[in-house]
Amino acid sequence: MGETVTLTIDGRETQAKVGETLLQVARRMGAAIPTLCYHPAVSPYGACRLCLVEVKVRGRTRLVTSCCYPIREGLEAFTQSDRVLKARRGVMRLLLARAPESPELRKLAESMGITDPQLPSVTKGKRDCILCGLCVSVCNEVMGAAAISFSYRGVERVVTAPFEQSSPACLACGACAAVCPVGSVVLEYDGETVTVEPFGNRRPALRCRECGALIGGKGMGERVAQQLSGRLTQAVDLCAECKRKISAQAICQAGTAVVAWPALPEGVTER
Amino acid sequence: MSETMHADYLASIETIADRYGRNPDFLIPMMQDVQTAFGYLPRDALEGLADLLGIPPSQCFSVATFYKSFSLVPRGRHTITVCLGTVCYLKGGREIAETIERELEVKAGGTSRDGLFTYEPVNCLGACALAPVVVVDSEYYDHVKLRDLPRILKKYREADRKGQ
Ligand code: SF4
Ligand code: FES
Ligand code: FES
Repeated sequence: MGETVTLTIDGRETQAKVGETLLQVARRMGAAIPTLCYHPAVSPYGACRLCLVEVKVRGRTRLVTSCCYPIREGLEAFTQSDRVLKARRGVMRLLLARAPESPELRKLAESMGITDPQLPSVTKGKRDCILCGLCVSVCNEVMGAAAISFSYRGVERVVTAPFEQSSPACLACGACAAVCPVGSVVLEYDGETVTVEPFGNRRPALRCRECGALIGGKGMGERVAQQLSGRLTQAVDLCAECKRKISAQAICQAGTAVVAWPALPEGVTER
Repeated sequence: MSETMHADYLASIETIADRYGRNPDFLIPMMQDVQTAFGYLPRDALEGLADLLGIPPSQCFSVATFYKSFSLVPRGRHTITVCLGTVCYLKGGREIAETIERELEVKAGGTSRDGLFTYEPVNCLGACALAPVVVVDSEYYDHVKLRDLPRILKKYREADRKGQ
């Protein structure tokens, strides 16, 4: 169902459903709003502050984070005002100070008009992390492993495995590495072991049963197999390449264009 | 850790968890009780607690490291707090802190080798009129002079010797 409301974004009126966030609606209308800690797969966390926009509430405007701002009837928002753009650049400078080496971040900064050669660098810190929390959320909400979490507080805040030791809960699925917007999480293979750095989670590695390529952690394979059924489970320990090959062979043998893997279960979409 | 030790741990953690109906919403008070029972938060105890509550150990670790009042390492039997806020600092707090560090051979947050004192400097206890202030456990010492320190330390050392 969902109640529909009318709101104005950058002077244009639009309709949206209650429960949607300002970011979702504004992006749908084509507004350019940079984000770092937002990911459609996990609940919004509002950590990076880059998605700032201006909203008008009772005649006064103020800056809010659009990724976690619920829309309502009559809302008026400005996504490209001078104040907004200036504030975003300020936030970006602070983020750059935390992860000055990240090419991803530098590129985004450039697109926002930050080109000063003199970048601030306040943290020669432990590592390049902007504390956006995406890895923590994806591990917890999507994978259900909760193998990492925020630890300590203030300037000491950091994402770690519990007790700062390799976590047996880690599936070495690489979801954290995939979502990290500044490229700080990596999977390092060493023989039959894969280590998720910088968390130091050392887990047994999974190899493609056809070609032997390393494709993540054994834990991930088991978890995925649990959630799939029938012939789909046969695809778990195959790399993308071999999956395609086997699929193609099956099609050829059948002599017609049958689908080698059964249809995806309802609600699951192919990326 | 030995098996029997582990059984002990589990029994006391179960008692604590049951006190709160094993409801993870009460994680913080449960962890406070664990800390009171063991003097700190032993890793095994936290992992046991997480298991009982059906929450990931990472959540316990996150909470344990967030709050200053939790400690993941054994603490001394007494906590000695020296105020280094502006007023106390100017009125001799710094010298007091230095003396304690030397006397107990500890750094900020550290515990003396005999396991008696954990030393924690703080920034203003909100009692500036009494500066310089030293607090042991929950006992306040006001207008402390360097020459008062041996007497204060002795008090706890002796009480402890008698207690054993
Ligand atoms: S490691 Fe990456 S994904 Fe995780 S909190 Fe830091 S910046 Fe975000
Ligand atoms: S995207 Fe909104 S605060 Fe990060
Ligand atoms: S400065 Fe020590 S109590 Fe305020």
